[in-house]
Amino acid sequence: MTPSLDSYVMLSAALFAIGFLGVLVRRNTLVIYMCLELMLVAATLALVAFSRFNGTEDGDVFVFFILTVAAAEVAVGLAIIVALFRARQTVRVDQLDSLKH
Amino acid sequence: MEHIAFTSLSVFTLACALGVVLSKNAVNGAMCLLLCLAGIAGLFVQLHAYLLAFVLVLVYAGAVVALFLFIIMLLDMQGGPVRSFRGLNVFAGLVTGALLITGLNLLAVRGRFGVGPPLGHSVGSSLKLYSYQLFTTYLLPVQVMGFLLLIAMLGVIVLSRRAPKAEGQQ
Amino acid sequence: MTPLQTALWVLLAPLASAVVIALLLRTKGTAASAVSVAAAAFAAIGGLWLAFGGARFAQSKEWFRFGSFAVEFGFKFDDLAALMLSIVGVVGLCVHVFSLGYMRDDAAKGRYFGGLSIFMFSMIGIVLADNLFMMFMFWELVGFSSYFLINHWYDRQSAADASKKAFIVNRVGDFGFVLGIILCYWRNGTVNLTELGAGHALVYSRLVPLLLFCGAVGKSAQLPLQVWLPDAMEGPTPVSALIHAATMVAAGIYMLCRINVLMVPSATTVIAWVGTLTALYSALCAITHRDIKKVLAYSTLSQLGYMVAAFGLGSVSASMFHLTTHAFFKALLFLGSGSVILGCHHEQDIFRMGGLRTRMPVTFWTFTVAVAAIVGLPGLAGFFSKDAILVLAYENNRAVFAVLALTAVLTAFYMLRLWKIVFLGSPRSEAAAHAHESGIALTAPLVVLGALSVVGGYTGVYGGAFNGVFSGIPEAVGATHVVVLITSLFVLVVGAGASLAFYSTDGSDALEQGSPATFGFLSALRGSFDAAYEYYVAKVQQRAAMALNFIDIVGLAGAVVRGLAGVVEMLGFGVRALHTGRLNHYVYWFLGGVVVLWAFAAGIL
Repeated sequence: MTPSLDSYVMLSAALFAIGFLGVLVRRNTLVIYMCLELMLVAATLALVAFSRFNGTEDGDVFVFFILTVAAAEVAVGLAIIVALFRARQTVRVDQLDSLKH
Repeated sequence: MEHIAFTSLSVFTLACALGVVLSKNAVNGAMCLLLCLAGIAGLFVQLHAYLLAFVLVLVYAGAVVALFLFIIMLLDMQGGPVRSFRGLNVFAGLVTGALLITGLNLLAVRGRFGVGPPLGHSVGSSLKLYSYQLFTTYLLPVQVMGFLLLIAMLGVIVLSRRAPKAEGQQ
Repeated sequence: MTPLQTALWVLLAPLASAVVIALLLRTKGTAASAVSVAAAAFAAIGGLWLAFGGARFAQSKEWFRFGSFAVEFGFKFDDLAALMLSIVGVVGLCVHVFSLGYMRDDAAKGRYFGGLSIFMFSMIGIVLADNLFMMFMFWELVGFSSYFLINHWYDRQSAADASKKAFIVNRVGDFGFVLGIILCYWRNGTVNLTELGAGHALVYSRLVPLLLFCGAVGKSAQLPLQVWLPDAMEGPTPVSALIHAATMVAAGIYMLCRINVLMVPSATTVIAWVGTLTALYSALCAITHRDIKKVLAYSTLSQLGYMVAAFGLGSVSASMFHLTTHAFFKALLFLGSGSVILGCHHEQDIFRMGGLRTRMPVTFWTFTVAVAAIVGLPGLAGFFSKDAILVLAYENNRAVFAVLALTAVLTAFYMLRLWKIVFLGSPRSEAAAHAHESGIALTAPLVVLGALSVVGGYTGVYGGAFNGVFSGIPEAVGATHVVVLITSLFVLVVGAGASLAFYSTDGSDALEQGSPATFGFLSALRGSFDAAYEYYVAKVQQRAAMALNFIDIVGLAGAVVRGLAGVVEMLGFGVRALHTGRLNHYVYWFLGGVVVLWAFAAGIL
């Protein structure tokens, strides 16, 4: 018996929520970033599930784009983190609060 | 059969995702992310999106996570004074997470658990099919992606330059 | 010139004089005095011409308007106004001429005569006014003139205090007056005296006449607002004569007579008793004073009480008759005292005068006529007017009659005391020994007013010009006539005789020697109102003011004004505190925003 659409969507939602939880709770920038990636992946899972449900390939194709964007984003984001580390010697978010009032 | 596969893969994925979130060591977290991606790839396979599973492993697990590991190790983090998770933060996070899950599920599945619309036939997963879509319906986004990658490259180059005065000292 | 034009000129001549003096002649005293006397003469002649020429009219013109509410400017010249205008004109002119001599050596003569002209303008305005708003405006102007003139020698602290006291106490009365005017307008839809007099659909209440009476209580110095009049003697003597004896204080009586149509019995009873008690109280206070002007001030208070009581007993005629005769002999008394003061080189203590009978004969004889008039010697003006009031009281309210009779005894008592100590015996100081008359400018008005004090009581003298007012004077017949006649003669003989016998001219106050307890009691009585007011102001009002001040500073300025600013500031602080700079916190806000959008999308919000 195949799992229904709802199961995939629930799983995707759960993954997304876990990723969001990670962003909320963790203080290490890199770990936060990884949790962001987790969220993106959850979105791709939902897309593929819906694409299968509808019987088209649009969702799959869109996953390509998500992948591309995620890669570019990771590259740039990590470059920023490295630059930040060079300036502040830390990547912990609670020590990077110079925008504080 | 499929159900067992789905259940085990999803449990595995969720566990690894939790591992990413909860691990104290960043490298451990990256490893867990890797395994999580593998689980997702498995789920893609079950959805008959073979090409995508492959691409996911190749690009995401292979390039992105590798880059992550690279940077983690570059930044030479000793882990610092490892402060345990503050109770309030965790509690807030858990509450948020629970709300999110419940909310998303309520919206998505409207309370029906497990009994939903069945998935139809897969359309097949050939590269030809995807590329046809990419070059006709989604041509514009492809071009925009190209542009985006160019800018990202430029951005990375700019960002990783050392500051002029630091260059003098180095 | 039509009567209206004449009236307008009569009103404006003193104003023109005041303006000219204020702008051009402030330092040129002689020129200022000439201008002012000329204006007063013009006003007097114009007024007499209007009064005795038979012109009677009432006209008004709209001045300004707020929607349905209009303030008019108009003249109501009936017999009452004609009588008052004649009094104001004649007495005013006498005082102006007297001031020429009295203020000859004063440095600020120009300012003084400017003040006199402003006063004449304001007083004529009150007399001619045909609606209560206009009357109120001139009322306030008269109050201002009084303040200005009492304060003539402003480097004396006592004069400055007295002028402030006069103005403030008048203000208290005027507050009631304004409330009365507003209430009258609200109830009756008009404050025009002619329209009120027509009597259509007047709403009668006790409140309106009593509130309007408050204005008279202030201006005519009745109990409990009589405290300002004795202190107002700080001004120059001609000012006391004009303002605080003959005209301004009579304005209150005049106003009461004008609004006679609004009176109801419950209000008039109150008015009658207020007048009676004022008369008695001031007569008691006058007995122990040493200052000649203060004795005359209390005498004025007493006679004003008589007038108010007469009005309260229901007769406008008796009240106005007494006002007329009182204006003459009281102005004469004051001007006579001014002559005496000037003759004794600005000495006001009666125990340092004496023996002036031979040294200042004109003053002595005119003063004697005035004293005789005030105590009611038969045949003189005061006898007839006082008699009329006693008849009225006997017929309407025996208790008031008894008190007024007692007051008449006291009046005779203190006036004869004054007369004896000032004029008889031998001089008790250097200045008194060298006293002499001060010139024609001072003596001529005395003679004129003396003549008027003699003949002013015979209504035939006025030739029927004021019949509208004098026709209602109570005439006694039969048994009443006999009783009242005997009473007035009795009080005269008892009071005058006791005084002449009791007081000696040796320079000491016989009452003080003979019965210190009574003397002490009467002196304390004098200061009782002032002490009460001082207690009230210092303990009650000042504390209330401090409390309000506190509320203002802490409550309004602090809590409300700065508090609102503070609330905004707090909001600012609060929002600022949200900018932690921590990424995690921002992600929480992000989540919050997503939830809100979600709720909108789901239709929950």
